[in-house]
Amino acid sequence: MVKRLSDLPEVEAHHLANIKCPTYDDTPPLAGKPLQQRRVVLISTAGLHKRGDRPFQPGDGSYRVIPADTAASELVMSHISVNFDRTGFQQDLNVSFPIDRLRELAADGVVGSMAAMHYSFMGAFPPEAAEPHARHLAGLLKNDQVDAAILVPV
Amino acid sequence: MGALGHFLEREGIATVGISLVREHTETIRPPRALWVTFELGRPLGVPDDAPFQRRVLHAAARLLERTDGPVIADYPEHVTEETDLTGWACPINLAPGRTDTLAAEIDRLGVWYDRAVAAQGRTTVGVSGLDMRAAGDLVTAALDEALPAPQLLKQAIDDLKAYYLEAASAFPDPGSSRTRKAWLWDETILARSLLALQPKLAASADAQHRILGNLTLIPATERHRLG
Repeated sequence: MVKRLSDLPEVEAHHLANIKCPTYDDTPPLAGKPLQQRRVVLISTAGLHKRGDRPFQPGDGSYRVIPADTAASELVMSHISVNFDRTGFQQDLNVSFPIDRLRELAADGVVGSMAAMHYSFMGAFPPEAAEPHARHLAGLLKNDQVDAAILVPV
Repeated sequence: MGALGHFLEREGIATVGISLVREHTETIRPPRALWVTFELGRPLGVPDDAPFQRRVLHAAARLLERTDGPVIADYPEHVTEETDLTGWACPINLAPGRTDTLAAEIDRLGVWYDRAVAAQGRTTVGVSGLDMRAAGDLVTAALDEALPAPQLLKQAIDDLKAYYLEAASAFPDPGSSRTRKAWLWDETILARSLLALQPKLAASADAQHRILGNLTLIPATERHRLG
């Protein structure tokens, strides 16, 4: 099965094809330690945050902090888009934010460790609004000795 | 999403991203991506299937060791669509009577929502900070009176949708997530209220109301229901 836009229902394909994607010069992938020595962070763009944190708004390029020990029951989603499924997230946090799966990979030694703090942006951001937040976040990640990020869309 | 890969990698953090729309990733060209064919909203594929999710996450993590990017790897597993139960109809009679209201509908779903929360051990309702009766009152007021502040209205509506869909997951015969979403849009006063609210938002002088009305109220797949 190959699911390209041309395989989707016309309305969904049209919506996705009309999203304007930014272009960049290629960024050379960094070399690094073997996976089993890396400290890994999850960064979601699902608009997730703890209940009571400020919700995301249109044009919002900022992030919210999700400590590794946050209970699934504390997390809500304020992504502004209505064009993706939320019932999966309602049923199981890990289908959109695989924090327990990352914990298992760390426990099994597949990755070295998991970060103390994880993060979520809200993916409908204009890239220029998110860039300064991402640069700042990179400094926070280095302070936490993180050297690898798994980016999870929604 | 792919933009974050560029931003973070340039700052010294190696990145890999899951890609749900290959065409977008082919344009943005982040350093490393694992393309999956799953439904939008489900980047790990299958709820409550930890081994499946772990395989996806592991495949993404393994790409971190690649330095020959930009690379887009195709994830080999796919998810077959949930089977719709032929002839599924909401087993809870929510068909509105002549005098029915959004508030009454919200109240009737309360018992099922409570059962869903008990079964799941959590709820995803709670962005707006409103209880569901107040959220419903806000929607009713938006229809009948002046439009409320756009962000609170948006959050109240998203909370209501989550409340309805979580409640429906606890119905005696819950169908599939697809049939429950169809139920929400086909059969509820909430959906009719949102469809009725759309033109008022779209005609507002407030740009944030117009964004809500035109983009973030009615899913693209349901806009055919608008007059």
